[in-house]
Amino acid sequence: MSKSSSVAGLTEGGLEVSIDLRDIPRRERLEAEAAASGDMYFRHEKIHPREVDGLFARLRTVSAQVLLGAFYLTCWISIDGQQILLFDLPARRFHVFGLTFWPQDFIYLSALMLIAALSLFFFTAVAGRLWCGYACPQTAWTEMFMWVERVFEGTANRRRKLDARPWDRDKMLRKGAKHLTWILLALFTGFTFVGYFTPARSLAANLTSFALGPWEWFWIGLYGLATWGNAGFLREQVCKYMCPYARFQSAMFDRDTLIVSYDQVRGEPRGSRRRGQDPARAGLGSCIDCQLCVQVCPTGIDIRDGLQYECIGCAACIDVCDQVMDKMHYPRGLVRYTTDRALASGGKARLLRPRVVAYAALIVGVTTAVLVSLLGRTPLIVDVMRDRNALYREVPGAAIENVYQLRLMNMDNEIHLYRIEALGIEGARVVQPAEPIEVPAGGVQTVVMRLQVPAANLTTTSVALELSFEALDDQRINRVETTRFLGPSEP
Amino acid sequence: MADVAAVGWASFLAACAASLLAFAIVDPGRLANASELIDHIDRATGYGVGFLFFWGVGIVAGGLSVLLIRSSRRDAREQATGRVPD
Repeated sequence: MSKSSSVAGLTEGGLEVSIDLRDIPRRERLEAEAAASGDMYFRHEKIHPREVDGLFARLRTVSAQVLLGAFYLTCWISIDGQQILLFDLPARRFHVFGLTFWPQDFIYLSALMLIAALSLFFFTAVAGRLWCGYACPQTAWTEMFMWVERVFEGTANRRRKLDARPWDRDKMLRKGAKHLTWILLALFTGFTFVGYFTPARSLAANLTSFALGPWEWFWIGLYGLATWGNAGFLREQVCKYMCPYARFQSAMFDRDTLIVSYDQVRGEPRGSRRRGQDPARAGLGSCIDCQLCVQVCPTGIDIRDGLQYECIGCAACIDVCDQVMDKMHYPRGLVRYTTDRALASGGKARLLRPRVVAYAALIVGVTTAVLVSLLGRTPLIVDVMRDRNALYREVPGAAIENVYQLRLMNMDNEIHLYRIEALGIEGARVVQPAEPIEVPAGGVQTVVMRLQVPAANLTTTSVALELSFEALDDQRINRVETTRFLGPSEP
Repeated sequence: MADVAAVGWASFLAACAASLLAFAIVDPGRLANASELIDHIDRATGYGVGFLFFWGVGIVAGGLSVLLIRSSRRDAREQATGRVPD
């Protein structure tokens, strides 16, 4: 009774506050049920998080829009007929913003993954689950699917009522439209995903003419299904039960990590009150126990119970609590981003600390190394193999001939002609190929090379030989390979 | 259901990582060269079957782990409460 009257006072200011009491004891009830049944997991009840507006909610929306927009659009951008981001698995070439990576460039992929992992450590150490709250695909797609749900089924309260209502025409239409939109979105997502692995434009052409291969159908279907299930149905359960990161995170946290926290010292004892009543005289803290922080939580937890592994750091509770504090004319920040140490000591957050600096230094170091190496990368790989049939051959003119097989890979985006030069043995002459070798952009060319050396110049049976390859139009593209030249034992 | 999701998803992630590593080093189109049983395999099939293989291995291993851990917990609880196992 006292609760509803205190809350009614809040509605005057335009903040819609109505409490769904079914929501409040849910966690306790489910925990009790789980304990009684000996089950490892709680029985799941669908969570309808209340809509929230505020700084962090807007950041989250903008972040989701930017990330999803980038995902859906990038695969359609081509420059000079080349899709700018394409992990071309059928051709085993990765095209990344004008650079072409070959399987030989595996080291760059490893470096990229290292940078990604270090960044995750860095951001987690600084501000907890920033990744989960703002950048995780699970969050972004859930936002989108919930937006669709809101369009067809209305706000959280209306959705809850709709779920409880018997099936009628309106419910069928609303739910049907929602599911149809979800399925179309999921299929389009699966299609876009595959568009990063096979050229998106030809994929679209093949789709409209029903000429997709079985594997393309399979991958579109699998990723469509995963999107539909994860974003439409599983949602916060993915974070709670399926995500490994949630369980690792404690290793990356310390007492100076910014986390969404409830200021217990300021908030307790919580309790309802009349508006304008002095909490100190009533023996109350700042928390009016309106339960809004629980209602907006996408994972259905109560932030006032402290840091929990279910908390994805979305800060919806900060937004809604700040609104309540404004209405009550209390200072904001009863729930805020702060550190464990700052909360305990009442001091300021200390963000710059050895582990953060170390992560930052490692990220900068690895990134610099990758950039330097990329800038100095020679877009040419040459394999030199000796001909297996004959060690050497004596040719007219008192010369010895060796035969090699060359494999030239042009990793550049332009066609090149390469000149071969033999170094290290005096008088060595490339007899074949007579012309420079032409290799198309991103192509591989295999040629047979015949090399002749005057017999008099061979001092031993096996001489070290250097082969130099250089692009005619660009001296910077050059590579030197070492091999051996064999001759007779008695010259 | 939560078990199925946890095992399925964790092994999916592991299969993604395993495929990435394995196929960065091995061209799936040449797998047939290394096999006495398969005559021909194209790249798309190589990638697909390879991924499903890794995923399957992960599901079997993860599923067995869950089975072993849960059944040993149940036995321990039955012993503690003095109930007779079914």
